[in-house]
Amino acid sequence: MEFLVCVKQVPDDSVEIHLNPETSTPDLSQADPEAGAFDTYAEELAVRFIEENEGSVTVVSVGTEDNKTCIKNSIAVGASSGYVVADEGTDCLDSAQVADLLAAAAAKIEEQEGKKFDIILCGKESTDAIGGQVGPLLAEKLNLPLVENAVEITSVDGGISVKQETDTGFMMYEIATPAVVTISKPDYDPRYPTIRSKMAARKAKIPTLSLSDLGITDLASEAKISSLGFEEPKKRQAGIKINETEAEEAVKKAMDQMIADKAL
Amino acid sequence: MSDYNKLTDDLIDQIRAAANGHILTGEDVSDDFSRDEMPIYGTRTPDAVVQPLTTEEVAAVMKICNDNKIAVTPRGAGTGLVGGAVPLYGGIVLDTTKMNKIIGYDLENLAVTVQPGVLFKELADDCTKQGLLYPPDPGEKLACLGGNVSTNAGGMRAVKYGTTRDYVRAMTVVLPTGEITHFGSNVSKTSSGYSLIDLMIGSEGTLGVITELTLKIVPAPKKVASLIIPFEDLEAAISTVPKIKMANLNPQALEFMEKEIVLSSERYIGKSVFPQKIDGLEAGAYLLVTFEAKDEDELNDLIDEASELVLEAGAIDVLIADTPSKMKDAWAARSSFLEAIMAETKLLDECDVVVPITHITEFLTFANATAQECDLTIKSFGHAGDGNLHIYECSNDLTEDEFKNRVDTFFEKIYAKATEVGGQVSGEHGIGSGKIKYLRRSLGDTNMQLMQGIKKVFDPNLILNPGKVCYTPED
Repeated sequence: MEFLVCVKQVPDDSVEIHLNPETSTPDLSQADPEAGAFDTYAEELAVRFIEENEGSVTVVSVGTEDNKTCIKNSIAVGASSGYVVADEGTDCLDSAQVADLLAAAAAKIEEQEGKKFDIILCGKESTDAIGGQVGPLLAEKLNLPLVENAVEITSVDGGISVKQETDTGFMMYEIATPAVVTISKPDYDPRYPTIRSKMAARKAKIPTLSLSDLGITDLASEAKISSLGFEEPKKRQAGIKINETEAEEAVKKAMDQMIADKAL
Repeated sequence: MSDYNKLTDDLIDQIRAAANGHILTGEDVSDDFSRDEMPIYGTRTPDAVVQPLTTEEVAAVMKICNDNKIAVTPRGAGTGLVGGAVPLYGGIVLDTTKMNKIIGYDLENLAVTVQPGVLFKELADDCTKQGLLYPPDPGEKLACLGGNVSTNAGGMRAVKYGTTRDYVRAMTVVLPTGEITHFGSNVSKTSSGYSLIDLMIGSEGTLGVITELTLKIVPAPKKVASLIIPFEDLEAAISTVPKIKMANLNPQALEFMEKEIVLSSERYIGKSVFPQKIDGLEAGAYLLVTFEAKDEDELNDLIDEASELVLEAGAIDVLIADTPSKMKDAWAARSSFLEAIMAETKLLDECDVVVPITHITEFLTFANATAQECDLTIKSFGHAGDGNLHIYECSNDLTEDEFKNRVDTFFEKIYAKATEVGGQVSGEHGIGSGKIKYLRRSLGDTNMQLMQGIKKVFDPNLILNPGKVCYTPED
């Protein structure tokens, strides 16, 4: 099977982000960029699949030239090639625009590498915007079957079997390939690169695909969302302590407060 | 027996007034104040807990206690491991956790002034936001900075940056008599008489109460990455440590860990990071090393050089954690060792001995053999870069008395061995009440008497944290 894994480069989500007071945009200066967590699960799932069966894993990321670091990290953990889509305006797109670029990039990479992708994987959502829309939109644009929130993919006659995580358990699907699958957290963690794979990945050539390479002339018309600005979440106010020793009085005071606050 | 006075209602009223009402008594004193994280050294509920907000409140309370010979046990977050914050002789616990403000940064002099109840993690996170680093990195991130200073906490980054002592520039101290004084100043060198600030650091709340600290900070390194290095056995792992240090690679952290404790910690955090089998070879021990650099090229050069060195020294492989998530996961396993052990163990004791790094293997081999001799289960890990070992004694089936007996025999032998190879009783946890006996044997009477003399100068009525470090009322 030939895999294409779509990876978004996101800021480190363990750093608390605040707005830069001068620009009123998120200050990401202390948050190093890395691949989104679910995208790394998708990579690991794909690499495990080809280790057990056969095939190869290609990764692609939409953003800027900086995304090459994240692609090299993917190559260090088992991808055989990687591409970035970077051009003017590709660093700030909505899900529909990203899906459009990924669809065009998939076709372009297929043409360049002379192969057809059987499975296109996306993380189920990014860890910054948490939209969860790119995978479904990509399937729509490519007119391919889609399964979301998968944790396991196995090969079956004529296609793949996909184990989908749901709120209540799991659903099993059998679908034809090519297909788009979005990946949730499997019961394993992504592997660490070794020094040898890392050194090899550092030397890997990562081609940049421009808008013209992809035959896209009007990126803006695809946009479905416009950003009006950023606001920090309001600081939570200190709670009210009820110090009454008698239960009846304490409950009455709590009820009165909730009525006053229109919570009841 | 001790002759501390009982806290009468009248004294409680005086202390309440002195502390502006910041006092807990009776049922409001929860069991938490009776213990730290190593209850095997004894527990006792204090008669009252004072939670001051200002230096002046601390001073007023200390004066009353000194005048009336009431025992006072200072306490931070209570995360200690040697019984240091346990009020063994009753009286009051002076809980500094409400003095929890980061007062301000002096960026030109690279210093920050804090109250003692600020948690280590709060300061570390606040520094990170500003591109700064407070270098000490003790395993317990939810300890108070006052407690860190009082035990001279070390941690993972000590191999490069030193311990808490190296980052304390100045402090405000309330002496047991109630006098307020200031030690040190925000300068980088001094030759101005005896270093009273250095006496305070590591004194475990026996000499004075710290009410404000000025700490040194540094610009945060631009790039960091960690290497997970599996070896077939501990000896191979440890013998690589001097080679890393000699190669001038200057790691920020250099930890060793045996397979069993890694597996136990990974079970606890629900993540699998450390490889167990590589190319058919079973990993028996690991080094976890962090490097820092000014840019990516310098970092890559360090990683390459270190990898070549350790592979030549017998490492099975080198795994690289150079993204924030991978670093966090690798260190999460290391940081959860204690919690993982606690979760799987009913009776627990610990030794945080420090030995010269050239003696780590010899010492651990001796400790393992001695544990077998004493019929004790032990789990070990530690800071390979500075020879500080954490050896946990664990039991799920012995009675407490039997466990304590076996641990005592074990401790007698391994502390004697540590002294023999040039080591010390505690690397970073302190002496508290649990290790006095072994400290006395390790340092000898002369040094213990010097410490007791110093204690008496600071605390003439011997009211502050009795039963800890060098002074017990029964002596």
